[in-house]
Parts: sequence; C-alpha cells; structure tokens
Amino acid sequence: MGWAGAVVIAGLAAAPAVLPGFLVTSLTEVLILGLFAMSLDLLVGYTGLDSFGHAAVYGLGAYTASLLLLRAEVSLPTAVLGGALLTAVLALPMGWLCTRTTGVSFAMLTLAFAQLLYAVAYKWQSVTGGSDGLAGVSRTPGPFGLTWFTSRPGYYYFVAGCLAGAYVLCRAFVASPVGTTLLAIRENERKASALGYNPRAYKIAVFVIAAFFGGLAGALYAPFAGFASPDLFFWILSGQVLVMVIVGGSGSLLGPIAGAAVFLLLEHHLSGLTDSWALILGLIFIVFVVFVPEGLWGIVRRHAATPAALLEESGAEHPVP
Amino acid sequence: MSLTAFLVTQGLNALALSALLFFISIGLTLIFGIMRIINFAHGALYMLGAYVGVSVALWTGRYWLALALAPILVAALGLGVEALVLRPLYRREHGAFLLVTFGVALVVAEGIRLGWGPTARRFALPSGLAGSVTLLGEAFPVYRIFLACFGVAVAVALWQFLERTRLGLVIRATAQNAEMVHALGVDVRWVRSGVFALGCGLAALGGVLAVPLVTAYLGLGAGVVVDAFVIVIIGGMGSFVGSVIGSLLVGFVQTFGNFYLPDLALAAMYLAMIAVLVLRPRGLFGQDE
Repeated sequence: MGWAGAVVIAGLAAAPAVLPGFLVTSLTEVLILGLFAMSLDLLVGYTGLDSFGHAAVYGLGAYTASLLLLRAEVSLPTAVLGGALLTAVLALPMGWLCTRTTGVSFAMLTLAFAQLLYAVAYKWQSVTGGSDGLAGVSRTPGPFGLTWFTSRPGYYYFVAGCLAGAYVLCRAFVASPVGTTLLAIRENERKASALGYNPRAYKIAVFVIAAFFGGLAGALYAPFAGFASPDLFFWILSGQVLVMVIVGGSGSLLGPIAGAAVFLLLEHHLSGLTDSWALILGLIFIVFVVFVPEGLWGIVRRHAATPAALLEESGAEHPVP
Repeated sequence: MSLTAFLVTQGLNALALSALLFFISIGLTLIFGIMRIINFAHGALYMLGAYVGVSVALWTGRYWLALALAPILVAALGLGVEALVLRPLYRREHGAFLLVTFGVALVVAEGIRLGWGPTARRFALPSGLAGSVTLLGEAFPVYRIFLACFGVAVAVALWQFLERTRLGLVIRATAQNAEMVHALGVDVRWVRSGVFALGCGLAALGGVLAVPLVTAYLGLGAGVVVDAFVIVIIGGMGSFVGSVIGSLLVGFVQTFGNFYLPDLALAAMYLAMIAVLVLRPRGLFGQDE
C-alpha cells in the first residue's frame, strides 16, 4: 500500500475533525456505497458473474436492519450485523437458483429477483410500509447506551470501521485458495471443472458472501438515511452500482470504492452546476465503457506500478473488460 | 355486467396491453437474436417515441403523422447509437453492452427530461378512434380495439417479412451464424445496424401508441422495460413466437391479476419468470446455443 495508502487512511481518520459537517455526511455515504460496490465486484470482477440485481441484497439489508431497529428495538450494531446475516441467509436460495444459469440469463435472473423483492416491498404494506417504505429509522443505540454512534462523526467512524473490516476480510478471501479458484472459474469454467473443482458450489459461496457485504452496506444505509424504501430494490440502483464498479475498475477491491466516490462526487457536484447531471454522468459512463474498460484503478496501476509489481499482481487483479 | 361481457371487455383490454408489450418486446428480442445484446436503453427509446409522438401530434395536429414519424426518428437515432457506441464493442464481452446501453438509457431519459420538462403530456385522438362502441351491452373504447388489431397486423407483417423475404432470410441466417453469412458476401455490419434501428423504431411505435392510454411521463421507460425483459425471458431470448406468447401471457396476467389479485399481480409476473428460467433456462421457445 505504501505511503499513499497511509495518507488516505490518515485523511479518512481525521476527516470529521477538519471537514464541515455536510462533507462528513457525504463521505459517510461514499463509504456505504463503496462497500456496496466492493461487494458487487466479488461477483463481477473476481468471478465473472454479471449480476444486474445487486440492489436485491442492498434492499434486504436495509429493510431487515430497519425492522430490527423499529420492531425489535435492538442496538445499532446488532441491527446492522443482523441485517447482513439475514441477507446472506436469504441469498442462499437465490444464489442456488441464479447460478443454474450463466451469462445473460444470470444477469436477467438476478434482475428478476430484485424486481420480485421490489414488488413485495411495494405491496406487503403491513411489514414494509408499502410505497412509503419504513420511515423514522433512527440510530437509537438501545440497551448498551452507545450514544456515540448517534452523532454524525460517530456514525462516520462506525461506517468506516465496517468498511475497513469488510475490506480486510474480502482481501483475505480473494487471496485465499477459494479466491484464486474463483479467478480460475472466471477465466475458464470448463477447465476449472475438469481440474476437479465444482464451479457451481464456489459460485453459490461467493454469491452468499457478496450478499453478506452488500446487505451490510444496505443495513448501514437505512440508519444513515433514516428510512428504507422500495426504490432500494429497483433496477436503476443495480445499474448504478455496476457503474461504480466499472468506472472504478473491476477486479480490484479498492477500485469500486473509488468508483463510488467518483460517482457521488459527480452526482453532487454536477447536480449543483446543472439540472442535467444524469445526462453528463451517462456520457462519462459510456466513455468509460468504450475507451477505459480497465477503469480508474486500472489507469492508476498502469502508471504508478513498476513492471515487476504489475507482473506479480496480474494473476490476482486482472482487469475485466 | 354478465360474466361473458366482463370476460370479453377485460379480454380486449388484455389484448390491447399485450399489443403494446409486443411492440417493445419484439424489438428487444430481435436485437438480442442478431447482436446478442441486452438493450437496456430500450425502455428509454420507448419513452422517447412517446414524447416525439406527442410533439409531432401537437405541432401538426395529425395523429397519423405522429404514428409514422416518431418511429422513423427514433430508428435514425438508433442507427447513430449503434455506429458510435455499440460498434466499438463487438469484440468485447456481453457485460460491456449491458453497461453501455444502461449509460445510453440514462442519457436518453435525461435528454427527455431536459427537452420536455417534468409535466406529463398527451394528445387528442382523431375522432374515429376517440369514441366507444357497445359490445354485449358494455361501452368499450374504440382505441383499445384499434390497438389490439394494430398489434396483430404488425406481428403478422413482421413474421411475413422475416419468413418470406430475402432480407428476412439474411436476418435469420445472421442470427444463426453471422460469420458464415459474412463469408457469403453479405455485409453483416449493415444487418446489425438495420436490425438495431428496426428494434428501436418498434419500441418507439409502442411508445406513441401508449400515449392515449397512459400519457407520456418521465417514468414511462423505467417501468415498461422490465416488463419487456420478463416477456423476452419467459418466451425465450431471440424467439419471435416467444415474444408473441410472452406478451399475451403478461398482458393477460396483468389485466386479470389487477382485477382479481391486485396485491399479487406484480409479484406473480416475476415469480412466473423465475419459474420458467429455473425449469427452462433458455425460456419457453428459446433455442440452446
């Protein structure tokens, strides 16, 4: 990671002390969406599974955490962890079914699941609040009295801690034998199968793990925004998080986090300059897909790394076009 | 209302909805069949067709001109999109298309918001289509009957075009084996451009036709594109028959579901899609690759 990484970490740690409040809020959102994008990249970049329904796990995490906070009145950390765990459990049958197909069918099936959950969230009024969603999700700390979380910097550090923990776990996961097997499946599934691996089992496993971290992001979002709404399941959000992964650079864990930062920066900055920020965002995105398939992270690595480091990394972090 | 009258009127409503869904899903499935592209911009182009149609109808006061002009203009835009954005990607993975067409969808949808503003728009139908007729003692809007008939007519014409003409033969052959068609001396690039433009134009046609029923509003594309995906997946990607049957299925499930089980209709559609994909990953009429 080197000195650049140390500067970034120091900057993130000092942020609430030096930045104005609204920027701390923006930064919290960047970290939450960065976690969401990073979890998607486990599927897209590391396994070659193009999910177009990743909003499904974001929404599940947000709704389960909200329900835990509103109905069960558990503490904030319990609700967040519970939301992530429940999402992973619910993702198991989803992953089992979706991994029966590949390629475009996989993308469409994941989209179908997300839209199904959208429909359920929309119609199951008594539990989900229907089109209004669940409002008034607060950061009330509950029985432990951890009032610190309820403050703006407190919640920022809580989110940053969750992201850091998730990053360390994901880093270890992709570097593990299981992670390298996923890369083998991405490159050539039939060959991996011939070598004695069961690609389907690995795909289901990574689907559930990605759902855990995606659900964690959703569970962090609901107390941040104060609500959970059906839009969290909508396909537009699935598309946006894919944008973050591609712009940032798929096949790397930090790239998607950078992508989320760029996405939100553009959204906030452009929306201040012009009403048509989404138009410009769309154009930037098209340019990235056509001309910069390796993403921002790929550019950084190409220019910053020495050839030896590139060789060493090329096995683990090969950019996916 | 007698049960027969209810079934007939609701059946005609379902047919009219199926016709609208057919216009968008057939374009999607043709584009997929030839180019192996899931066009996420398809809903936005449907919406663009609706807005362009409204403008033409309001400027000229002629509904039929709107119906003819909007698809042509959107098809021309489709040609541009294909040449500028899709052509550089033909050697890349399918994921790149998924993403780039999502970008196009954003641009088109935002362009519409900029160009037409946030208010919903509609136009008046010509007198011949505006009224209603009495069917089995029930007043029934002429426009829905027109939609159902128009949908059948376009479906038959397209089928004839694909099955009976030389160009249709080339298109079907390209879907089967583009390299072989290219080797036989046909410029496959033009087949691709043409089919993409045709698909975009059909989506736009559906959009103009939808305006009198639902008005042109900014969320029009985002909602309908998922319906079209469901149809194409249930029917089988790239299958003409699948698109027809899927449109009818979804049109009838939505119409009757909204009446009998309003809470479950939406979810039922997605559940049906999941069930089909699990049992037949290629869809009801899809062929193995």
